[in-house]
Amino acid sequence: MEGTLNLVGFGLAAIGPGIATGLIFAAYINGVARQPEARSVLQPIAFLGFALAEALALFGLVLAFVL
Amino acid sequence: MRSSVFLSAEGEGFVPPSSNDFELPPIFGDNPFTTKPIFLVFLSVILVSVFFILSSRKAAIVPSKFQFAGESIYAFVRNDLARDVIGHEFMRFVPYLFTLFTFILTNNIFGIVPFLQFPTMSRVSFPYVLAITVYLVFHYVGIRKQGAWKYFKEIMFMPGVPKAAYILITPLELLTFLLVRPLTLSLRLFANMFAGHLLLLVFILGGEHLLQGVIGLKLISPFAFFIGIVLTFFEFMVQCLQAYIFTLLAALYIAGALADEH
Amino acid sequence: MATRDDNAAWSIIGYLLSGLLFWGGVGWGLDKWLGTTFLLLTGLILGAGSGIYLVWLRFGRE
Repeated sequence: MEGTLNLVGFGLAAIGPGIATGLIFAAYINGVARQPEARSVLQPIAFLGFALAEALALFGLVLAFVL
Repeated sequence: MRSSVFLSAEGEGFVPPSSNDFELPPIFGDNPFTTKPIFLVFLSVILVSVFFILSSRKAAIVPSKFQFAGESIYAFVRNDLARDVIGHEFMRFVPYLFTLFTFILTNNIFGIVPFLQFPTMSRVSFPYVLAITVYLVFHYVGIRKQGAWKYFKEIMFMPGVPKAAYILITPLELLTFLLVRPLTLSLRLFANMFAGHLLLLVFILGGEHLLQGVIGLKLISPFAFFIGIVLTFFEFMVQCLQAYIFTLLAALYIAGALADEH
Repeated sequence: MATRDDNAAWSIIGYLLSGLLFWGGVGWGLDKWLGTTFLLLTGLILGAGSGIYLVWLRFGRE
């Protein structure tokens, strides 16, 4: 077995954004299913939340390579 | 290279499959152009052409099953991918998208066909070439439609943004548009095929290795084979999905280049 | 319309990634050139920030 601890760290760091993305889209789908006309209101919010959560995952990815 | 895996069964301890398993030796002598992936690409071209020539040659009003299979794939690409995404100019791009879809699909499915069992797209150069063709097509279409200056101006300078923010944003738009898009397009296909093939190798070769062990391990090995079979069906789903996503994103990029405001 | 949403998710990742890569790369290069160490982190944070800003411009405004 070879590899660096950075990759283990990235794996651990990706858990949080993974769960967060799941929660965000779960809430989005829930909201749209309950109230389809709210889609246009919810969609930008959902994508922004997704972007914020995903930024953390990509931060981990870049730092795993850089450090 | 491959021998390391087979040697492991003779009591050297299990060597897990690695990226070395993807570097297959040449079939004829030392010529590096005669490896298995290259033959698979040619085979896929022959298979796709023969299938669609045969299924469309004796086209009838009441289609045979063969013709129906060919036509439903074509209708899927034309209606669900090209027409719904690109809009009224879609007919020009149907041949390209159709070729892309059937070619990638055939090459992906080679990963679970017995005796072939190698997804061609798990060698990264094939997705690269496909992404380069997509890249050339959608930039060419966009520049032809809008003119080079206007085309790039709409990418670089979004309206309604403070002037100072352009310093931060314009490089990102250009980088995304010119580099990250084709790169993620090809790497997504490559990574899915690579990881899927590796996963199957782990379970099948691991099960084989367990079968060589003591009696306790022999009892476990059917579970490894069972999971391997389940994952084979899962792989089939992933392979179809990736062919679909690649074609869908190609169509979306073409649609974005054709749209007047982006 | 579902296809547009798929594309949005992918292009968000693309924007964020290119933000981190570009401004992180600039910070890394300046670090190499000037012999400092803090510019890489500054560049990464700046890149993530401008990537999120760009996502907001593209998908959050209307």
